[in-house]
Amino acid sequence: MIMRAPAEKLNPREIGTLLRGELATLGGWIEQCSLRRFALHVGVIILGTGFYGAAMGWWRDPQQALFTAIKFPLIILLTTAGNALLNAMLAPLLGLNLPFRQSFSAILMSFTVAAAILGAFSPVMAFMVWNAPPMSPAAVSGATYSFIKLANVAVIAFAGTTGNVRLFQTLARLGGSKAIAFRVLVAWLAGNLFLGGQLSWILRPFIGSPGLPVEFFRATALHGNFYENIFQTLLQIFND
Amino acid sequence: MNEPNPVPPQVPPQIPPVMASGSLRPLGDDPAERVPIPNIISAIDAILRHPRRVMFQLRQPGAGRLIAMMLLVSIVCSLIYGVVVGTFSGGAQLWAAPAKIAVGLMISALICLPSLYIFTCLSGSQARLVEVFGLLAGLLMLMTILLIGFAPVAWIFSQSTESLAWMGTLHLVFWFIATIFGLRFLEAGFSHSNARSHAGFHTWVVIFLLVAVQMTTALRPILGTANTFLPTEKQFFVSHWVDCLKAPAAAAKPGSPN
Repeated sequence: MIMRAPAEKLNPREIGTLLRGELATLGGWIEQCSLRRFALHVGVIILGTGFYGAAMGWWRDPQQALFTAIKFPLIILLTTAGNALLNAMLAPLLGLNLPFRQSFSAILMSFTVAAAILGAFSPVMAFMVWNAPPMSPAAVSGATYSFIKLANVAVIAFAGTTGNVRLFQTLARLGGSKAIAFRVLVAWLAGNLFLGGQLSWILRPFIGSPGLPVEFFRATALHGNFYENIFQTLLQIFND
Repeated sequence: MNEPNPVPPQVPPQIPPVMASGSLRPLGDDPAERVPIPNIISAIDAILRHPRRVMFQLRQPGAGRLIAMMLLVSIVCSLIYGVVVGTFSGGAQLWAAPAKIAVGLMISALICLPSLYIFTCLSGSQARLVEVFGLLAGLLMLMTILLIGFAPVAWIFSQSTESLAWMGTLHLVFWFIATIFGLRFLEAGFSHSNARSHAGFHTWVVIFLLVAVQMTTALRPILGTANTFLPTEKQFFVSHWVDCLKAPAAAAKPGSPN
């Protein structure tokens, strides 16, 4: 799948190229994949989302920080791998003739951008958590908890949006059409969000409730699914 | 300087492009579309990336081999997706679900083939039966290849939910998306056959969808379990779905806490 380039060295400066969205260079990277660059992107995803996950989980417990640092990168990598085949099929069917490894590289790049942003925000998140009172049922119902929760949502949304904007620009350049790039991006996003949502549900908790023990998986991890839960919650709201 | 007896350059025999109606680009005007499809991998690649190549090759002598390859891919892919469907209940469903999905799909296609040919002719199309059959085989292949793409997602959900109704809905959604892409291929092929109207084709699409979903009820259980391999009573698919939705507790995964 990936062409070997053992003579080249890892160049962390390439992350700057990714973040700046230098489309000509990114297009070249996608067309000529190398094992070295693949390793760099996976490494950034593991480190970036790992550090951010640790900052998220640290409020609950140091052990939860370790668990979340493992689980956050796992979700990204499993989503990329799980949908790789489907995404590679959807691209040509929607008008963008990308080979499998190119579509895989493009998606991995967008996750790398998001992970780099998350990693950059992890010290800020850790600082917020350090300043917060210890997690307790009272803290969970207070303003601090709401603020940290909103901050997490804002940072993750910013990282995700930036990653997808870069992906859209890259696809538009590769395909020569913004309309086709948009169609492919929407299809990829739908699939990745669908699978990613369920993987997040299976791998919960990420912060953890103060009333529940710290654990890698909940005992009910494989009972029910994310979307059933949303559906049942909506039913409860409308029945009350 | 000049050669006394210049040898004329070798020109490959030109296959005349197949003319299509309206403003459509004729099949075969791109030389890449004229390259024969020698094996299964090429057939999969062609239907995903160059569907016009498949359409052109279906009009050439020896299209039977391509059709056989596409049917073989459809059967293998539907068997693989069937195993993923079977993992929800496990046990005997691991072999029963793939068998039922593969057989059901092929029977649905066979049932609908004559009506497709009739509608094609009524629309003024010049397509021969073998070409119509080939386009239908292309639909099946594209549909089942896409189902393989959905298989990892379906497997994740199979392992983490107990609700038969939920899993049934998910598989139907995946099947529906895959079928839409398959039907797009079929319609593109139909457009190149000088058809005057697409009304007949659209009618046939409704028939095909109805036959396929009724087949899932006729061959039930595919997702859940039962004491018999095939159902003992006849049921319309709508009433079967309503029954499944009304009895969520009874229609749960075997061995689940529900």
